Amino acid sequence: MKKNSVENIIALSNDLRWKIGDDFHDHLAEGIYADASEIVKNTVQTDDKKQQFRLDSKIDNIVTSKIWGFPIMFLILGLILWITIIGANYPSSMLANLFLDNIHPILKGFAANIGMPWWLDGFLIDGVYLAVAWVIAVMLPPMAIFFPLFTLLEDFGYLPRVAFNLDYLFKKSGAHGKQALTMSMGFGCNAAGVVATRIIDSPRERLIAIITNNFSLCNGRWPTQILIASIFIGAVVPSSLSGFASVSAVIGIAILGIFFMFFSSWALSKTILKGEVSTFNLELPPYRPPRFWKTVYTSIIDRTLIVLWRAIIFAAPAGAAIWLISNITIGGESIAALVINSLDGFGFLLGLNGVILLAYIVAIPANEIVIPTILMLTVLVTGISGGEGAGVMFELDSANETANILKAGGWTLLTAINVMLFSLLHNPCSTTIYTIYKETKSLKWTIIASILPLIMGFVVTFLVAQIWRLIF
Amino acid sequence: MSSYSPTYALLIFLLVSILMFLLFRPRRGWYWIIKNNITVNEKTVTEDVLKYLYHNEISGNEVNIISLTAVLKFSDNLIIDIVKKMTIKELIKFDGYVLSLTESGRNYALRIVRVHRLWEKYLAEKTGYDKVEWHGRAELMEHRLSHKETDLLANQLGNPLYDPHGDPIPTNQGKIAKLKGVALSSLAVNSVGRITHIEDEPDVIYKQILAENIHIGSQLRVVENNPKRIIFYAEGEDFILAPIVAANITVDVFEKDVAEEENTSRLSSLKINEIANIAGISKEIRGDSRRRLLDLGFVKGTSIKIDLKSPLGNPKAYLIKGTSIALRNDQASKILINKL
Repeated sequence: MKKNSVENIIALSNDLRWKIGDDFHDHLAEGIYADASEIVKNTVQTDDKKQQFRLDSKIDNIVTSKIWGFPIMFLILGLILWITIIGANYPSSMLANLFLDNIHPILKGFAANIGMPWWLDGFLIDGVYLAVAWVIAVMLPPMAIFFPLFTLLEDFGYLPRVAFNLDYLFKKSGAHGKQALTMSMGFGCNAAGVVATRIIDSPRERLIAIITNNFSLCNGRWPTQILIASIFIGAVVPSSLSGFASVSAVIGIAILGIFFMFFSSWALSKTILKGEVSTFNLELPPYRPPRFWKTVYTSIIDRTLIVLWRAIIFAAPAGAAIWLISNITIGGESIAALVINSLDGFGFLLGLNGVILLAYIVAIPANEIVIPTILMLTVLVTGISGGEGAGVMFELDSANETANILKAGGWTLLTAINVMLFSLLHNPCSTTIYTIYKETKSLKWTIIASILPLIMGFVVTFLVAQIWRLIF
Repeated sequence: MSSYSPTYALLIFLLVSILMFLLFRPRRGWYWIIKNNITVNEKTVTEDVLKYLYHNEISGNEVNIISLTAVLKFSDNLIIDIVKKMTIKELIKFDGYVLSLTESGRNYALRIVRVHRLWEKYLAEKTGYDKVEWHGRAELMEHRLSHKETDLLANQLGNPLYDPHGDPIPTNQGKIAKLKGVALSSLAVNSVGRITHIEDEPDVIYKQILAENIHIGSQLRVVENNPKRIIFYAEGEDFILAPIVAANITVDVFEKDVAEEENTSRLSSLKINEIANIAGISKEIRGDSRRRLLDLGFVKGTSIKIDLKSPLGNPKAYLIKGTSIALRNDQASKILINKL
């Protein structure tokens, strides 16, 4: 009897299911909204709202207009980048002065006083301390300037309009308009750009934004580009044009990065990511005056310090590794020299050399220490005078001296061009890789995001090198 | 390094790239072809034969061994061999030349159809694969899922009744609803009805229907029907189709005139300064996208107007419930409105 009634109920529910059809979710949502709007009508009074909305739409009509929409956008982004790069120079050199020129000798002196053995002193102070100090000095100021500015724009409500303006371009490559924002954030720091992809709520587009963020030339790479462009690219044109030529080369690289971002977004959305769910919608919130101090505070705590902390965690062991490979010798040769020798052949195929490849391997924690590592390793293997000794990274105040060391290391114009390309197209720094893993919780996507730009870098530098050698 | 020359290096690179392309290009890459062929076995062929017989039983066509070998993409020897085995297992029977399903064969076929349609539903609701790919992927999957897994899948999807093309999904007891409606090509001028089903085979015709932006669930009125072309009016637009294409669209004809949806049009046709009420969201918006739109307030009766156009014309921002929400034009074409 009881069992019978259960069966009846199941049969009845099956019948009813066919009768109510597939749409009942919609009807439910409609019912809830109908009730809600009824309640709103009876209880909420709207009065002064209209006034505010008029100002909003006036701003909107300008920033999304056909004529002004794009120029305003580029102007603002350019201005922020300019302020960051120029403005960060002063605090960066102050920090470098403090950490590298003052504290470092004091620590060395202290170590000598207490009779620390040379290897412990070298490992800790020349290796670990120097790498950490370097990363702080070059990373902290640009991030502390860039992120608050960017967050202020976000808080004001302008950034969703940028996404709105650019969405059509991103749609063509299968991505979301909001990727314009995470890409711009990537110009500051890729790790922060990856975190920023949280604003994209569609799974497929978010993965695309995460994987392609590395194609935004980040703060750690701008100085490398500028240095090499001014030494090598600026030198091939008449000196009156050299400044212009090197700046154009750097901007060209950044634009090339955007091109690669669009291209790989398109390729990813057509291949390995086509099965991920894709949705689109974009809210354009009303403008509001940014809460200045709160924004500055949260952007420094939430973005700058977290990223910096992660960078330090990774920089310390890298500094140790850099010192160790330069100082441990096997059969009379340092590990660094052995590795460089074995990488030289592959490096030559790519128009690079073993030193550069090794520098990119050991300097994985931060792009900022690539140039100091290259300089140190070049001095180590060529045996020319200069630098501070095996395993001690250094940078020179004058571009001329840097150029002399690099040329002694066998650098040509081709090497310079390919280093600029490889600096754009290589694996993300370990901070970013870790952040990608934290955000995607997937080993697969982390590996793809790390390997994909590296393969592109190999292919591009290889092709450039061969074609260059055929022509010249 | 002695034998290095940039020309050789480039040539080797070119060769490797071509090889990689041939191996791994989407769908027709050798790697995929080999991988799929390895999975072809007796079970696959048996199930494909059953499915083919079932579909022809529904449409009332007779099947013989010649048409069977012509349609299925396996070697003739393999098919004949398997047909023999299937007759012994009493899944199919011969009446002279004509092949037909036995009772147990029909049940088996329904199970395959159930997996196929459930999997299409799954792809539509829970993944981002393009419509064009659903059928092919379901074809592979239908041979892989066990009975239990299928029921689990159905449960997860909320025991759906229809697949995304509008075909009824058999229940796990093997019951299946009859598809209501007739082919669009057979409708008289001025008949009014609703699109209930869009056939996804053959591929070529299905792609044409998709390219026309015809949506399942749309209400239509036939404007012209002759051997050359069929014109119908739906959602504020005229659609022109060849009869062979129209034959793959099934329409449920209304008995009495339902005039209320006649002035319904698509949100994409809304112009600046026009105000409209939302009439509903097309069935073509599914899964997460649909839920998100409902959450944002795109429900019947809500008033809507254009707030902003982006510099490139797509997307547009719509003012709905006091909030400005940007939608792309292809989404807007799947939201129905009544202009005021």
